[in-house]
Amino acid sequence: MVRLRTSRFTFAAAMPLAFVGTACALAAPAAAQQSVRAEPTVQVTGAVTQSLTLKASDLAAMPRASVRTESNGIVTTYEGVWVAEVLKKAGAPLGNALRGAALSTYVVAMASDGYQVVFSLGELDPEMSGGQFLLADRANGESLFGETGAFRLVVPTDKRGARSVRMLSSLQVVTVRK
Amino acid sequence: MRRGLTTLSALVFTLGAVCVASALRWLDRPVATVASVAPGRASAKPEPYVWDIPAPFPRPPVPADNPMTAAKVLLGRHLFYDARLSGNGRLTCAACHTPSLGFADGREQAIGSTGDVHPRSSMTLTNVAYNPAYNWADPTTTTLEAQVLVPLFGTSPVEMGHAADGAELLQRLKTDPRYRPLFTDAFPDDTAAISVRNVARALASFQRTLISVRSPYDRYRYGGDRNAISDAAKRGEVIFFSGQRGGCFQCHGGWNFSGGIRHERDTLTQAAFFNTGLYNLPGGTSYPSPNTGLHVHTGLPGDVGRFRAPTLRNIAETAPYMHDGSLATLEDVIDHYAAGGRTIAQGPRAGVGHDNPNKAPAVHGFELRGTDRADLVAFLQSLTDSTFLGNRAFSDPWRGRR
Repeated sequence: MVRLRTSRFTFAAAMPLAFVGTACALAAPAAAQQSVRAEPTVQVTGAVTQSLTLKASDLAAMPRASVRTESNGIVTTYEGVWVAEVLKKAGAPLGNALRGAALSTYVVAMASDGYQVVFSLGELDPEMSGGQFLLADRANGESLFGETGAFRLVVPTDKRGARSVRMLSSLQVVTVRK
Repeated sequence: MRRGLTTLSALVFTLGAVCVASALRWLDRPVATVASVAPGRASAKPEPYVWDIPAPFPRPPVPADNPMTAAKVLLGRHLFYDARLSGNGRLTCAACHTPSLGFADGREQAIGSTGDVHPRSSMTLTNVAYNPAYNWADPTTTTLEAQVLVPLFGTSPVEMGHAADGAELLQRLKTDPRYRPLFTDAFPDDTAAISVRNVARALASFQRTLISVRSPYDRYRYGGDRNAISDAAKRGEVIFFSGQRGGCFQCHGGWNFSGGIRHERDTLTQAAFFNTGLYNLPGGTSYPSPNTGLHVHTGLPGDVGRFRAPTLRNIAETAPYMHDGSLATLEDVIDHYAAGGRTIAQGPRAGVGHDNPNKAPAVHGFELRGTDRADLVAFLQSLTDSTFLGNRAFSDPWRGRR
């Protein structure tokens, strides 16, 4: 058991709605059920210099952060790693490197049931925008479980929860302009 | 030294009180016990009601002009189980909101005191204090104080069947000496405590205590007990919350599994209403009259068939389902949603609900494979809160005393 470091950041934000994702009639991919027993991971792939397969223990060793959300009156403190830190580790262009053609890069956050949400690389970079994007692996001191999956993307600065992807399985980095 | 002892005594007393409170909570009893009637007791400062709501759940909103007190809750409980609240003395509130039936009545459609068949099914009172609106599709009734007047005095249909002026009701209450101390304790500042307004306020206060957050699922999700529900229920939870699979949470969202809630820090959330493709009649109005949903209030064609998404807590106890009780079992409901709407092949209600023009996008249909249906049922059953349904604080206070 890795002891959590003290969170460097704590932000309060309101999440007034339940996580109401838009829906489509896609069937769940077989991977959703096959991965139940394997140790859960988040993969970072695509236009990066170093693809990553992160386990909870890997995230525990990275700089930790936390955010506080409120949904339907229930307050939750999520802990994890800023998405930008994860992308930086994979070698995605961030900070000073996020210029010119690099600004046409986007990230697909994919859930194990096939749910997908797109973010631009620029909005995920704290040096570029004010949004907060946490790759969370714990809530209120406990590992995430059940319908949340082992990992969840938490976006406390959003007005609705639909981009806070539960059961997060991968971040795919894509560059539009070569 | 003396001061030190006083401080020590205070500390011991406080610790003792905390221990007692904890023990009571552990026993799953309300900390604010609804004491037996103390006749003639004049209390200058009414005892506040002490909520029994475990973390992390919020308290419900309470109107500023009807603060919760233990005395009001006690009075409301007596009224709730009193058949004199119906015109002909045949019906109590509990007849259509029976604790052992999930605070509903087990019927397809409710039946009023004079035999009127209600067009719609009795709704559960589970967590009713958090509702942003009341009834199946009435956005204009947003407080329990206003809602209780609907069954008491409504004429279309007749439910309790009292005359609109309430004179008969008040006369009955005034002539029972047992009610006088109950009313004066509940409303010590009112010179005429036995009034329709106070009947409504007391009934609302009692109903606000009907809070169900101790199901096995709550122990699993919020209580740290990963073994509180079955593996089937755990699989069902994932299907329920996956937009790519069941997606049920899209209408029955949040910890109350409903179309929005209000709570102590949010008293503005509006109720959400959804057309689920239950009917698709030909012609102008796709749902059978008079149950055209939100359309009854707005007159807008796009509101035909839109009904409130009620809480799914204790849903396994409240069959049959939907606004008109037209689906008998949870399996039927799951099949209806999996098909993305109900098809009725023949008869006056024939139509393909899947194609209802007002159907909510969330009712997209989904594929049920393997154990999915049984898993969803197991999940819904894990929302049954036996400590709530059997809570003696919610039972008939007249039993054995009439």
